[in-house]
Amino acid sequence: MELLGRQEVWNITYDHALGETASFFFGQIRDNKRLFGRRCAKSNRVLVPPRAFSDETLLPTTEWVEVGPAGKIEAFTMVYEAFNNLPDPPYAFGYVLLDGADTALGGYFKGIDLSDPDAAAAKLAIGTRVMTKFREVRKGDALDFWFEIA
Amino acid sequence: MSDRVGIIGIGQSHFRSRRDDASYPDLVREAVVLAMADAGLELDAIQAVVYSLSPDAMVGIGNAERLGVDAVGGRNKRFLRINTGGSTGISSVAAAYYHVASGACDVVLTAGADKVGECGDSQTVLNKIWDPTYERALPLGTINMLAMSAVRYMKNTGMTQEDMARVVVKNRRHASLNPNAHLRKEVTIDDVMASRLISWPIKLMDCCPQSSGGAAMVLASEKFIRDNHLDAVWITGLAHCAETYWMGDRMGINPTAEHADAHALRRSFERSYKMAGITNPPKQVQVAELYAPFSNTEFHAIDAAGLCDIGASVPMMREGQFELGGWIPVNCSGGTLCTNAIAVTAMARVAETALQVWGRAGDHQVKGAKLGIASGNGGDHQIFGTMVIEA
Amino acid sequence: MPLKIQPAVIGCVIRPVITGRDRSLEEIMYDTAQLALADAGITIDDIDGIVVASNDQFDGRAISVMMASSALGGVDRDILSTPSASEHAFVLGALRVASGQYRTQLIVSWSPTEASSLSEAQRLGADPYYHRALPLDELSSHALQAAALEHAVPGARAMAQAVVAKNRRHGEAAYPGLAGQGARGNARWPIAADMTTAPVTGAVGIILASPEFVRERGVAAPAWLRGMGWATEAAFLGDRDLATAPALAEAARQAYADAGVTAADIDVAEIVDASPYAELLAYEALSLAPRSEWAARLADGSFGAGGRLPVNLSGGVLTYNPVFCTGLIRIAEIANQVRGRAGTHQKPGAKLGIAQAGSGFAMQYQAAVILGKEARA
Repeated sequence: MELLGRQEVWNITYDHALGETASFFFGQIRDNKRLFGRRCAKSNRVLVPPRAFSDETLLPTTEWVEVGPAGKIEAFTMVYEAFNNLPDPPYAFGYVLLDGADTALGGYFKGIDLSDPDAAAAKLAIGTRVMTKFREVRKGDALDFWFEIA
Repeated sequence: MSDRVGIIGIGQSHFRSRRDDASYPDLVREAVVLAMADAGLELDAIQAVVYSLSPDAMVGIGNAERLGVDAVGGRNKRFLRINTGGSTGISSVAAAYYHVASGACDVVLTAGADKVGECGDSQTVLNKIWDPTYERALPLGTINMLAMSAVRYMKNTGMTQEDMARVVVKNRRHASLNPNAHLRKEVTIDDVMASRLISWPIKLMDCCPQSSGGAAMVLASEKFIRDNHLDAVWITGLAHCAETYWMGDRMGINPTAEHADAHALRRSFERSYKMAGITNPPKQVQVAELYAPFSNTEFHAIDAAGLCDIGASVPMMREGQFELGGWIPVNCSGGTLCTNAIAVTAMARVAETALQVWGRAGDHQVKGAKLGIASGNGGDHQIFGTMVIEA
Repeated sequence: MPLKIQPAVIGCVIRPVITGRDRSLEEIMYDTAQLALADAGITIDDIDGIVVASNDQFDGRAISVMMASSALGGVDRDILSTPSASEHAFVLGALRVASGQYRTQLIVSWSPTEASSLSEAQRLGADPYYHRALPLDELSSHALQAAALEHAVPGARAMAQAVVAKNRRHGEAAYPGLAGQGARGNARWPIAADMTTAPVTGAVGIILASPEFVRERGVAAPAWLRGMGWATEAAFLGDRDLATAPALAEAARQAYADAGVTAADIDVAEIVDASPYAELLAYEALSLAPRSEWAARLADGSFGAGGRLPVNLSGGVLTYNPVFCTGLIRIAEIANQVRGRAGTHQKPGAKLGIAQAGSGFAMQYQAAVILGKEARA
């Protein structure tokens, strides 16, 4: 028999409140090209991106600490496959420990030739120093900045 | 020992890419019918149902468990749904266990299904598991999340891409012996290395497939099992444990949980072993079904299960110690790497371990296995469930 | 069957309406857990396990337990989620304590209003095979149920209006800041606009503990779980007689049987009045009053403040409507009643209460929870 199908699309828009902590973080990126973390007084760890509370101590964080813009690579990958609603491949992204931070911040890696994956992987090796770069026109989101090898 | 909780029935689909012949509830029903037949009980005997379903968006139906009520015979019965992401299936078995262990019920069904093949955008859906505040703008998905785990594990242990391929070769060989598995074609290391690069260092054959199918299990109290002279295997240890949601917190300076490894999986196994009275896992565990959707993640799962020191799984894999016939066979069913119907994948880990200690695993049976372990990983490599199952 | 170990509610927080944009949803979850712990007089170190419930489509997160885990104390802890209904998180948490594997459970549910339309999010719950093309959100399903009830019970509309008047009156006393503040919900015939209240952001947290923990800590006024039942209706509305609530009758049967009490023993009740017609149906299914007596009981004030069995002294969903967690809130309201901590809407001397929780299309999910000041009758 003829088996029928039906295409359905979900389409809901969300207006997420970022709260005070993330609003400050993105405001500083947008207006001043500066990066901040929040210190947990109990563990003394500087959480980047900043959290209003530490998920380990479950205490509110207490202090803004400026971090970066330099740092080192903690994790990376290069993506060569296309996925719906994600960028056209290839692209590289991962996590960077900014100077002064205890935890790593996610972002794109740019300025790297991705045509030879293994060669690119060697360039992005864990521990490689990077510098944060900022978009000319910034909106206050996670795409306002990226990392390049220092 | 009269208060144990036993597994008395198991049903699994023949998992495939697509099942255009069956609607979503039809697939659930298929597994339920198989499990009830296996238990030798009618649906009337079921007092409660735990519905196993991970993100709604994967099946494209909000609270899709409501649509499954009739498929599981849930009308006017106790019914609830569990979702812990990839670990949902084992979390559902755990929830069913608590229905019995609490004294609330004697016989409980847990069931679910997935049609991942019908979701055109599974990595789009999975991108939405990250927070909209900081990380969703990044092209995160489950593949590149675990590619980054591989990158760190390579640095820490010396694991190579060929080592990853060895896991694929082993699991495909196992799957070829399991009629329910989705990817059953055997492959070589060269095949895996030559498959197209998805997210470095993960290649196409390092990845699980998107599977459609269902799974169901029937659990019962020891009293019910004895009174009705039923055959069973027993859940003797179970636990869950979570670690930080923030992947970047699993790196940097002295992280509690290292993203290369599976910290909370280890903690969960420790709790399960304690409950089951297992003091020396490498000596006592005879078979393991460990949730590992990408080849590299099987290594840290073996490490976290306490079967060896961190990183020692890599040389042991080269020696064939985790193959059928090896020292502790891991993922004899082919594992998540060969079949991933997300909502029930972790339930299949429990089901396969149960079949092993029951001596009913067919061509992929580990001879004489009486004690096995199972695990499930959910969230962004964050929420872990574990079980010990004994004959 | 009765539970092997009897859990007790030792802490509650109800956050009926959360406004402002100074806290993100994750921070709201964190605040809620911390407030619940404070109410119980314990810290997160005392918590063995967590069960949460939320709706991914309301939250705009594909697996919302993930973020919740970090916010609530999930790190190095055992956390599960029951997205089917907020009250199911309570059920599972109670079963976990009763199993003896855990001494405590933290139960949290939340319901944000950041989606462009909760109605649209609910419509995704209609199956794509037969019903998605219909304008079927939860209020529409309640309206279908209301129409069925009006057909089956002459005068049902006047009774529904009496329920609304009662709950508004209660709400003005219980939450004076909220009553009348919430926008009126949308009308779907025969449900009039003033019979519902627009969704708000809210959250609820409950701490469950074992008798051993209660004894060790000398918890002053726990609310003991005396009986608990839960059941579900069929998936398709067309398969149901919408003028009845058999799943709730079954849930109530389980709860009363476990507790060894009857409706005559109950001092106070909370019912999910997502529509007043649902409250009417619950009177019957909970054996509070058969449909033949609804009009008389509403007229004589039996279910009002000061009546024999006050229903929804909190003002119910009509007073504050954080949609997804209204069921768990009913349980928290009853826990506070029997703990003597219900504030301005406390029923003096309440010893035994029943909370009904319902959700889904035309209340597909039903639960009944009996909580008592005393551990046993």
